[in-house]
Amino acid sequence: MRLLAVCGALGLGLSLLAWQGRYWGLRQEVDNDDAPFPPDGNEKTEFVFARLRYPSVRFAWGFRGNWATDYWKADRQFVQGVRRLTRIHVRSVEQVVDLDSDEIYNWPWIYAVEVGHWDLTDSQCRRLRDYLLRGGFLMVDDFHGTWEWENFMASLRRVFPDRPVVDIDDKDPIFHVLYDLDERFQVPGIQYWYSGRIYEKDGIEPRWRAVYDDKGRIMVAICHNMDLGDAWEWADHPRYPEHYASLAYRIGINYIIYAMTH
Amino acid sequence: MFEWLFKYPPAAFSKGQIVWLAPFPAAWLFAALIAAALAPAWMLRRRPGPPIDVGPRRRLALWALQAAFLALLLVMLWQPALSVPTLRPGQNIIAVLVDDSRSMGVAEGGATRLERARRLLDDDLLGALGTRFQVRLYAFDSSLARIESTAQLKAVGQATHLGEALRAVAAEASAAPVGAVVLLSDGGDTRGGVPHEVIEELRARRLPVHAVGFGRERYERDLELAAVEIPARVLRSSRVAATVRLRQSGLARSRVRITVEEDGKTLASREIVLSAPEQSETLLFSSGEPGPHRLRFSASPAEGEENVRNNQLVRLLSVEDSRPRILYVEGEPRWEFKFIRRAALEDPALELTSLLRTTENKLYRQEVRDPKELEEGFPAAAEELFAFRGLVIGSVEADYFTPAQRQLIHDFADRRGGGLLFLGGRRALAESGWNRSPTAELLPVTLPARKGTFHRDRARAALTRSGADSLLCRLVEPPEANVERWKSLPALADYQEVGEPKPGALVLATVETPEGRTLPLLITQSYGRGRTAVFATGGSWRWQMLQPLSDVTHETFWQQLLRWLVSGSPGPVSASTPQPVLMDESRVVLRAEVRDKAYRPASDARVEARIQGPGGIAESLPLRAREDEPGVYEGEWNAPQAGAYSAEIHARRGDEELGRDLVLFRREDGVAEDFRSLQDRELLERLAEATGGRYWRPEEAARLPREITYSEAGLSVREMRDLWDMPALFLLALALRSAEWLLRRRWGAI
Repeated sequence: MRLLAVCGALGLGLSLLAWQGRYWGLRQEVDNDDAPFPPDGNEKTEFVFARLRYPSVRFAWGFRGNWATDYWKADRQFVQGVRRLTRIHVRSVEQVVDLDSDEIYNWPWIYAVEVGHWDLTDSQCRRLRDYLLRGGFLMVDDFHGTWEWENFMASLRRVFPDRPVVDIDDKDPIFHVLYDLDERFQVPGIQYWYSGRIYEKDGIEPRWRAVYDDKGRIMVAICHNMDLGDAWEWADHPRYPEHYASLAYRIGINYIIYAMTH
Repeated sequence: MFEWLFKYPPAAFSKGQIVWLAPFPAAWLFAALIAAALAPAWMLRRRPGPPIDVGPRRRLALWALQAAFLALLLVMLWQPALSVPTLRPGQNIIAVLVDDSRSMGVAEGGATRLERARRLLDDDLLGALGTRFQVRLYAFDSSLARIESTAQLKAVGQATHLGEALRAVAAEASAAPVGAVVLLSDGGDTRGGVPHEVIEELRARRLPVHAVGFGRERYERDLELAAVEIPARVLRSSRVAATVRLRQSGLARSRVRITVEEDGKTLASREIVLSAPEQSETLLFSSGEPGPHRLRFSASPAEGEENVRNNQLVRLLSVEDSRPRILYVEGEPRWEFKFIRRAALEDPALELTSLLRTTENKLYRQEVRDPKELEEGFPAAAEELFAFRGLVIGSVEADYFTPAQRQLIHDFADRRGGGLLFLGGRRALAESGWNRSPTAELLPVTLPARKGTFHRDRARAALTRSGADSLLCRLVEPPEANVERWKSLPALADYQEVGEPKPGALVLATVETPEGRTLPLLITQSYGRGRTAVFATGGSWRWQMLQPLSDVTHETFWQQLLRWLVSGSPGPVSASTPQPVLMDESRVVLRAEVRDKAYRPASDARVEARIQGPGGIAESLPLRAREDEPGVYEGEWNAPQAGAYSAEIHARRGDEELGRDLVLFRREDGVAEDFRSLQDRELLERLAEATGGRYWRPEEAARLPREITYSEAGLSVREMRDLWDMPALFLLALALRSAEWLLRRRWGAI
């Protein structure tokens, strides 16, 4: 009996540790005081780069969480481009949002990175579905290969059990709303610098996919087998090729303007 | 009494002139009157005291009485007389017009109105008039017909057109010495009155109309659907507000149900409590599918109601098949733009084309009809801009538009008659120079003369009293619940200070700022031929994102606002008829306002109405240009039988078609006399007074033959009637002397 109690307590403790581990990174990043805060960081603007914070499947003690990959530099560097290249009124600092409260509805555009590792709860799936059907827009990026795709789809299928994921046609307005993006190519992450390989894992072919609503408008824009986030983050690095960064900016800007017009 | 005192009836005095028959000039009378005033004054002054002295005020009274008496004697001495036009006996015709419509068959107090009229004529009037004049007897309903005797009157006419009957008599008076008109009627004109031009014609001929009114002036217990007002045309699936005017007597506090139905299907119905003699109620219903709709409005009979046939009315509604176009110009990508577009796209009756500045030099066009449309940006030509019926200007700087384009925006509302909506935003209104632009004149508000008016702080919206009444802001029914619904809406993402509303503007909604200030949010006004509005926020998108998926508040509000924007915007040809439902009459007036593509009045167009009606009726009617109204064309046509008609009006200039429009009308027979079945005494009195005649109650009409003599129409002469021997003058003289005597007695001055 005593042995049983010890085993039970041990199991409970391990479960708690596992749960804590999933969110360790979240807390770490939210509390990250190292990020420099620009003077106009609190400006009230029309558009804010909203980064989705989500629970990951990967359990690792001390792992900071996949949602925060490239955080905060990619976000801030990208919105500088949005400011310079469009008339959108953009805040210089990102906003971290999650699906655990109705606050998400105040941010009609959200970006999620490394969604090959996300693991949404049922209530988060419900809220995300509701958010998207009300008119919200989700851009997902930086996940590669078959395993991550399947894991991404495991949560997405719970968000939209009956909506297919389809390849976006080249003629879709999302590729023409500001820049004509007929010539698209795979955008590698910073690993390209030391590996010389454009793809990661078995994600050789870049895929621009989407989930559409009943009126034919994209709700979820999926950038699979590419790493636009890294391209934004390392755009100022001399060893990161300019043409990758440039395409990443153009795709990101098109996606934002599409979300604000459709 | 009047005649006993003054010798002649009031009509003689009203038509006559006072003249002086004494062989002295009238000016002498004036001098004599001054002398008559001075003489007693001199006498009283010279002889300071009667036997017992009186004070100055009493002396003044004595002087006044003596002077008045002397003045009266002088007036009589100068022989006043009345020069009055008088019909020559035996040489003039009196036209006696008897209302022969169905409403004269209403029985009251044991006899119908017609029986009473017949009795009055046969027993008194015809005989008395016949001794001095030739009498012509007419029956009239929708037209006038000569009859020989009152036995020919049947009270079966389907309509009463007083104007037509009097017009015919006036025409007859040009060829025959008609001295006066005696009209026996209940005044229930089914066209609602006598046209002004008919009254003017009677006045020009100095032909008095003596109206003898028959029928009760009010029912003890009756409810009548006095009028129903609905727009002639609406967009498909619109919410239509019908204003139902009810008139009742003796039924206060009764509950009745008012209903609108089409082909037996109830569209809307609600119970009301009758409170005032006249009251207006609103019925809301959906317009349904495109095409003509015949709507029957009714009120359920109230308990003990005497006449239930006047409880219903038919109205026509044309539901447009077209999708009016709206151009939305936005100066920056923003959420408001996205969600307005989404709301508009949900509406099958609207077509929202948008032009968005994504970068400094790039425009993104959506819902354009062809790849070339708006390729050069905001239209620079009136023809291009005026193809739209509504214009929305978002967060765009005023100087983004050229001066010529700003003039076009002005003309869009003023001349084209379009709807113009300005939205709030960080580049909108006072933030970017709209307050210094001549276009500021268009706005329903006086913009602040400063920047810093746009605030990205959340603010809650609320309806004003006008907004609570307005359908534009109606999100839910009933109106009280709607006011509460607005209070519970999520806060707007931002708001803008737009200054004070201009006189005539309507503030429908306000926002409460975080500091507790209340500012105008939605303001509308009419401008020129069109309308303008300001919605002082760019943050209503939160009504969509912050409410459950099933909630349609955001879509409903924007669809209603955009429909309001275009619903009154006319096309180049705008057809109408003043009376879409012809109740027991056939004459219809078709009117078209014709403009060219730049919406300037086109007075040189060829305008034709192609009319189709029941039984395969198909006719063309050319419309004539009115000289007093540029670009307006009119024509009259007679609908030969009951049923629904449509008139498609085409306007061409040379080979170019300027436009076309459809107008619906309907002839209903056998219904007009059910309405206005009480005596319309007011109408008869107005008619008599305007023509120099008099209104008579039947029991006083025996005196009519004597008074009718005084008329300037027909063959008349001016006769002199002495006035100096009026009993009233002698009585006055006696009264003056008696008063002096009594005063002197009282003061002991005798």
